[in-house]
Amino acid sequence: MKRFNADVKRFWNYSTYNVKAELKSEVAGSFLSWLWWILDPLLYMLVYAFVAGVIFGASSKPYFMVFVFIGLNCWQFFNRVVRNSVKLVSNKKAIVTKVYIPKYMFVFEKIGTNGFKMLVSFVITAVFMIIYQVPLSWTMLWLLPLLLMLGLVAFAFSTIIMHFGVFVEDLLNIVTVGLQLVFYLSGVFYDLTDRLAHKYPTICDLLTYGNPVALIMTDIRNTLLYGGQPHFLALGIWMVVCLLISVVGVKIIYKYENSYVKII
Amino acid sequence: MAESAISVKDVKIQYRMLNKMSLLKAIMNPKRFQKTEYFEAVKGVSFEVEKGKILGIVGRNGSGKSTLLRAIAGIFSPDEGSIDLHGHSISLLSIGVGFQTALTGRENIYLSGMLLGFDKAQIDEKLDEIIEFSELGKFIDRPVKTYSSGMYSKLAFSITAILETEIMLIDEVLSVGDAKFRKKSFDKMKSLIDNKDRTVIIVSHNSDTLKSLCDNILWIHDGEMKMLGTTEEVLPKYNEFMS
Repeated sequence: MKRFNADVKRFWNYSTYNVKAELKSEVAGSFLSWLWWILDPLLYMLVYAFVAGVIFGASSKPYFMVFVFIGLNCWQFFNRVVRNSVKLVSNKKAIVTKVYIPKYMFVFEKIGTNGFKMLVSFVITAVFMIIYQVPLSWTMLWLLPLLLMLGLVAFAFSTIIMHFGVFVEDLLNIVTVGLQLVFYLSGVFYDLTDRLAHKYPTICDLLTYGNPVALIMTDIRNTLLYGGQPHFLALGIWMVVCLLISVVGVKIIYKYENSYVKII
Repeated sequence: MAESAISVKDVKIQYRMLNKMSLLKAIMNPKRFQKTEYFEAVKGVSFEVEKGKILGIVGRNGSGKSTLLRAIAGIFSPDEGSIDLHGHSISLLSIGVGFQTALTGRENIYLSGMLLGFDKAQIDEKLDEIIEFSELGKFIDRPVKTYSSGMYSKLAFSITAILETEIMLIDEVLSVGDAKFRKKSFDKMKSLIDNKDRTVIIVSHNSDTLKSLCDNILWIHDGEMKMLGTTEEVLPKYNEFMS
């Protein structure tokens, strides 16, 4: 823990500068490429709102478009961070072989760049909420803690996946399929409770409480759109679990990072 | 007694002989996943370098020189033993670390400098000197991807050479760019190395370079210390061994 704190403190300035640099690189990469940070979730929202709302008739939920948009914002953040973590060390070969940097800092950087994009999308969410006249509520203040929790979940899983990504060449295939499964089971474009609670209450509880992304997504929607409270107990348990996974992930990285240089 | 800048005590560095493997292959042959072989690249090396001295490391390819250098630089930690830098700042001289080509030269100076362990204030202090040494002029505010390879090398070298640390680790002496800049960069390297306050470790296969620069030479053979002594003592024996 002492080493972790010292290392984070030492490399924090570089990592935050690098996050800004990566965002700037993306913007500099092509004309109006920053617009895609906004257009991407907006267009996906239209696709999923059409598929879920029109084809499957799941649009009875109030503020359904905003509901889908929030789900997509959360999902895209988690998906990008976890997916990118698979090849993170080998993609940073030029740095890893020349200077020492604790490899989990790369995960922090991915959380930073994708977190910024997610925040931009949440600004659009606020605009949608104004347009749809969502009533103001004190429960909206839970947004920030819930987003931090989402960051912790992404960090926990990404550190472990990043480590194995160094050694397992086809891990990206497995992770991509796994993420696709989690996407469909997380209720990104439908309400888990509405669709499953009556017919399959056990499965509904399992999918809501057993999947931290679904839980956080549900709670962000509840607190922002419907004036509800988060599921404190379930979130507390997941926070402890994710902290433990993060500790294991960081310890594994410290133990094996000597070997990364020779394998990538 | 002279102040010690680097203390290396009984350092051992192992590599786990793991190769990338596919999950499909692992399922077909699970025993392969359980077997972990170790290769000892550095086998109990100990030495001290006094502040302001220049140590050369020699040895044939694969003898563990670069591994030892990278361990001293902190790129990875030794499996056994200890490396004490007595609080001195250190850098392994390598050019263009962490460059993002979509960013300008100026922004890459900050990026690369921070990665090498300098804070913004320290980089600010040296910024003008780096830009001047690199001879890039107004190109410093253009994206690095628009640079020629010579311009890229000039900027990269300037960052490394101007952002000095108390201990410098050099894996082959660098000189980059066109003929004029090559001479300028070699002279700069020499002045950095000759600075009496700076401690330097150089890994090189060039005996003339080592002879002209180093106070002492460490000869490593198959990960073990074969000889440590003054340049005059060690270098002739090493050359004889290699011939």
